Amino acid sequence: MSDKKTSSTSLRMPSLIGESTTLIKNIFNDPQPLPRKVPDYMRGKGGFWYWTGAMVMTAFLYEALTGLVLLFYYQPSNAYVSTMAFLNNTPYGVVILTSHLYGAYAMIVLMYLHLLRNLFVGAYKKPREIQWLTGIILLLLTIGVGYFGYSMSGDVLSQDAVDVGKGILQAFPISSIGLWLSLVFYGGGSTISLFSRLLGWHIVLAASIGVIFALHFFIAEYNTIMPKVEKGADKAPLVDKESKEYKPWFPYNMVYMSQISFLVMGLIILIPSILAVTPNVPELFSPFPQAAPGTAAAATAILYPPWFLLFIYKEMDFQLSIAVGPFWATVIYAGIPLIYLFLLPVLDRSENLKMQDRTVHVALGISGIAYLIGLSVWGAVDYGIEVAYWAFILFFAGIAIPVYLVTRYITDAVKSGKFKEASLPAMIVLMTLIAVFSFVSGIGITSYLASPDTGNAAIMIVLLVITVLLVVSAIAMILGILPEITWKSDKRMSGSSYTFLGAGYAFCAIALVSVMMVISPYGVYNGSLYGIGLGLLFIIMAAMLRLYRSYVYHE
Amino acid sequence: MTENKSNDPANDSSRRTFLKYMTMLGAAAVSVGVLRGALQNIAPAISGITGGFPTMQLVDSSGNPIKTTSLVVNNPQIVTFNYPLQSDPSFLLRLGDSSNNDKVINPVSVPASPGFPAFTSPGGTGPYKSVVASSAICQHLGCKPPAIRFHPPSASSYPGKIHCGCHGSTYDPYNGFSIITGPTVHPLPNITLNWDSTSDTYSVTGMLGPTIYGQPSDLSGGTPFPSGTTKTTVTSEVP
Repeated sequence: MSDKKTSSTSLRMPSLIGESTTLIKNIFNDPQPLPRKVPDYMRGKGGFWYWTGAMVMTAFLYEALTGLVLLFYYQPSNAYVSTMAFLNNTPYGVVILTSHLYGAYAMIVLMYLHLLRNLFVGAYKKPREIQWLTGIILLLLTIGVGYFGYSMSGDVLSQDAVDVGKGILQAFPISSIGLWLSLVFYGGGSTISLFSRLLGWHIVLAASIGVIFALHFFIAEYNTIMPKVEKGADKAPLVDKESKEYKPWFPYNMVYMSQISFLVMGLIILIPSILAVTPNVPELFSPFPQAAPGTAAAATAILYPPWFLLFIYKEMDFQLSIAVGPFWATVIYAGIPLIYLFLLPVLDRSENLKMQDRTVHVALGISGIAYLIGLSVWGAVDYGIEVAYWAFILFFAGIAIPVYLVTRYITDAVKSGKFKEASLPAMIVLMTLIAVFSFVSGIGITSYLASPDTGNAAIMIVLLVITVLLVVSAIAMILGILPEITWKSDKRMSGSSYTFLGAGYAFCAIALVSVMMVISPYGVYNGSLYGIGLGLLFIIMAAMLRLYRSYVYHE
Repeated sequence: MTENKSNDPANDSSRRTFLKYMTMLGAAAVSVGVLRGALQNIAPAISGITGGFPTMQLVDSSGNPIKTTSLVVNNPQIVTFNYPLQSDPSFLLRLGDSSNNDKVINPVSVPASPGFPAFTSPGGTGPYKSVVASSAICQHLGCKPPAIRFHPPSASSYPGKIHCGCHGSTYDPYNGFSIITGPTVHPLPNITLNWDSTSDTYSVTGMLGPTIYGQPSDLSGGTPFPSGTTKTTVTSEVP
């Protein structure tokens, strides 16, 4: 297939159409058989980063399955009552409803992880531009599905989310189009029309995720995986199917994939089930719907958006947003990062995968995460407080400029050989954490100054200590003081340890499932206990598969 | 990654088989856990009413109690009311002979049918002991009026019978709604009526015989009346 590579040094957007045509032709006229060989390093230490997409897919499949069950029970004419009846009175309803919520959270978090990983390793570059673009579309669709799903419960927060969405759409510069959009998404005003639309759009967008995901996946299969990062400027794809380091998909990859799927699903079930039996869970992470609108309890609820939209919520507090109105504020704050992400394959056209040669985009990636997390935390703590222009500029420049300068310093050090290239990914993670924690510590300090009590003092001190520790480890890493961490790829235990662990896991699994069988299926508390058991069972299963791979496949 | 497994003392085939079986046990435990939850979750709660059969007064569409005079002997129209659930149509018949004079309907024993014991049909009520009621859902495959209806004795086809046009089941309302012809194997469930002689009003108090078609019990598996409902409306339609 290498004959298709032309010397297109100037890739422009229109030529993407040509690229896609070639891609489609190659996929359908010269299909790669699916049972293919996969390199060992994808399943080795650090191979996790090759599977972020698979984890998103696991979360998506989990969402589809639990969503179809919820579809049996959801009544648009009776949204809140039917949701609460499913939660309280349907056997194991609590497990399905809360894990559907947390599965969506997991999908969004994993998607960001997948996006960032691909940004840092340069996976948006030729020949993967279409893969990257479909990925950005999938992110948008996922957030959209999340928004509609969140709005479906009919609680006080969902009502608020719908009102905000309507407000943004109706502020569209051409009012008749704004009205049309609002009618299409939110119906003609009656409750049943609203919730039928929300349900419809939730399913339509989820289905389109399925379709575009299929495209994304098959392009990825066609382009094959990224080459080893250490191979640096090698042009992707770099796959040698004759090498002994490549093994067939079955059983090696299937067992590995099952392992990570069980782990992801286990966490999706376990975390909300634990939260469901934990008292005083903060509203943002509560696995339950809030009070119904118009009730006394609703008056005390904090009107948060879902956490994955908190950053936009905070941005609405900027003086600039207030000046231009909610529609243009959304276009600016959501649009600029999106345009950047869409244009990235065009902005960075080199075929160089080395991070040290992509300082600007690496620095923008780090700043982007810091903005996203920083704004979200800011929105959770100080919402609805107007932010002056100077603070707005300070926030954006105060993160971007130091991040750029440090990144420049590091990449220069890599180029001059003073900093190990292999430590670069760890350094990027560290820098991101420093950027996030510095800003969050700042929020901690201002919260303490605003209300100096023990709780705020403790939070502030913990945040400052973490920030200092992160900075110290970064400096240690730059100076080369930190010992290089090496992993042995084949950690083998004694034979009897395998026997002992295998029997132990199986015993735990059977003991757990026996206990679960006698738990009454009714009630939120009992259901949550069942969910905890089920989540642990999935995680034990993942551990058993890990053990099996270690013993039988030497992985 | 060592390719030559036989040189590895920690790797022998019996231990591999053991690990495989242990993993399969784990997978079985996961399946049991998932299936128990999923299978039980997807079956919804059965809707219905609790307690015994409700007593409901028969009223007309304006809410006034039904009197004997408002019932027509051998009415060619289909007269129904819903009981015991809102989704359960039932026949209300004032039976007469071929000259349309009230006919006394005596309690009769209806023979046992598969799964249900024999029972004694309550017989007619009212001043002439001629008013009877039964479920209007065919016991064969659940057809409802007008597919199933009473044909008055003067009718040319099925005179004096309840006949279901879907598959031809015929019941005898004069004999406890027992089977005349199949394919049904169950008589129609009988409804007990209570006539108050001082006020000349009718009320339904319960049911006898087989369970209403398609329901786990007479009181569940359908749409219940709103709680506190004490009246059920009698309606008639021209077949």
